[in-house]
Amino acid sequence: MNLIDIRNLSIKLQTSTKPIFAVDRVNLTMKEGEVRGLVGESGSGKSLLAQAIVGVLDEKWEVDADRFHWRGNDLMRLSAEERKAIISKDVAMIFQEPMACLDPTTTIGEQLEEAVDVEQLSGYFWQKRQQRKLAAITLLHKVGIKQHEVCVKSFPHQLTDALCQRVMIAMALARRPMLLIADEPTASMESTNQGQIFRLLASLNQLKNMSILLISHDLENVTHWTNTITVMYSGQFVEAGTTEQIFNQPYHPYTRALVDSSPKANRMIPNKSRLMTLPGSIPTLQHLPIGCRLGPRCPRAQQKCVHAPKIKNFHSHQVSCHFPLKDNYS
Amino acid sequence: MSDVLLQVSNLSKSYKDKNYWFNRKCTTVLEPLSFDIMAHKTLAIVGETGSGKSTIAKLLVGAELPTTGHIRLNGQTLEPGNFKQRCQHVRMIFQDSGTTLNPSLTIEQLLDEPLQLNTKLSEVERHQLIRETLQKVGLLAEHMSFYPHMFSGGQKQRISLARAIILQPQVIILDEALASLDPSLRSQMINLLLDLQQQMGLAFILISHNLGIVRHFSDEMMVLSKGEVLEFGKTNDILQKPQHKYTKKLIMSQRFQLLHR
Repeated sequence: MNLIDIRNLSIKLQTSTKPIFAVDRVNLTMKEGEVRGLVGESGSGKSLLAQAIVGVLDEKWEVDADRFHWRGNDLMRLSAEERKAIISKDVAMIFQEPMACLDPTTTIGEQLEEAVDVEQLSGYFWQKRQQRKLAAITLLHKVGIKQHEVCVKSFPHQLTDALCQRVMIAMALARRPMLLIADEPTASMESTNQGQIFRLLASLNQLKNMSILLISHDLENVTHWTNTITVMYSGQFVEAGTTEQIFNQPYHPYTRALVDSSPKANRMIPNKSRLMTLPGSIPTLQHLPIGCRLGPRCPRAQQKCVHAPKIKNFHSHQVSCHFPLKDNYS
Repeated sequence: MSDVLLQVSNLSKSYKDKNYWFNRKCTTVLEPLSFDIMAHKTLAIVGETGSGKSTIAKLLVGAELPTTGHIRLNGQTLEPGNFKQRCQHVRMIFQDSGTTLNPSLTIEQLLDEPLQLNTKLSEVERHQLIRETLQKVGLLAEHMSFYPHMFSGGQKQRISLARAIILQPQVIILDEALASLDPSLRSQMINLLLDLQQQMGLAFILISHNLGIVRHFSDEMMVLSKGEVLEFGKTNDILQKPQHKYTKKLIMSQRFQLLHR
């Protein structure tokens, strides 16, 4: 069964003249136990999409979807309270810059104890305090922090970035979520620490069958860890498929450019040669092009591209382009 | 190929703790190191935070005074404190281009400042030079009257590049200048930098932790850890046959991201 099934989700901002579609008809499906990468450059609306799933968007954003199912429940029909009950039980989210997300004035231990789920505690009220402490320590063990005595007593500024991110993951695990949304969990981290965090997430996925939605702005960083990838550009759906499909045979010109432009992925290209790029820069929200938003930068753009393309499906490899690069590979 | 452009010998930096009168503590951030850079070449400096990468950059541009050692440019010693000579030839680009541009000045005023302070060009000549430099980095002459907030991140990075090359320097230091850019803009920027290097014969010092970029962009690389040089040599040699344990670990931590699946 699909864990989450989103069809044609739009997030719009009402302005005095006309509404701005920050996210324009995006599809996202996730199966249980899947690690899906959500890749897009800045301003592609990937964080907005994640916030819309968790339901923490500001009042000013209007969310609209044809289908927004969580394990078969239509979330759009539920009231805010019912929705919150489901989401807060099953979905957890971690953010970038873990240091900034933790409370600087209280110790890690207290913050963790606060996050522990009451329903998991049993016994009388005088036993609960002790159980809470134990639960916090087991959470720390789960994310691979062995020296729990030191960690529980320290404040966030005393720990490194990677340790703080582990604590954040521990908090997210407190209610045993089915889906963990990781919004750029390793931004501004060093590569050795990045590896640690990704390995931890991968092991959680393997051992607890937890699904992970891994959001990143860089395709090359996540490819090793994901089963499937969804690519977004400027609020529009670009391409979705397995990691192999996206990485080895991208159908969309944008994905092609992303893969080609990464010096890590193309180890064959000679030193100091020119990298392939798209001309121009990412459009701002105020000046979005009509139709396919890649249009002005796309090397294959034609007149048809002023209309937004429909999503085409080739063996569960979805692409949203009038002129996909499909024939190039046969 | 060509002569040595920048010659750094025995450069080191340590801070004294002023609180103790007797047995003053001395923290060494950078052990003595030496290297040479030719024109048209790029040196990459790789290391963790706190390894002294940025200290090298600060010492080279003269923002900090070295404890020992000297820096020679074309055989001429760069005196500490002589900024007139130094900032003509050694320029720097920072990681966060948005915050390094003065928001209350237009692009023309921003680029005019280094020219006024360092050259004796007339106003017309300066205007002409700014126009040419903007075209070199792929911006339009109309952009001169714009303010920094009207540009996107990639364009801001181009403006700070324009500010760096406007005095026709010989060495440009890129302190994580490519890290915060989006992938498609980053490769545009790499192309631009490579073009400029060919045209103007610039030497780059690239401080980065993305080994993919380092491999593509640099000729030589230096691996730093805790202020010590662990390895120094040709980029390809080091990446293919790392000698030190630390370098191996660093490469391994990025290697699995590179693997094709």
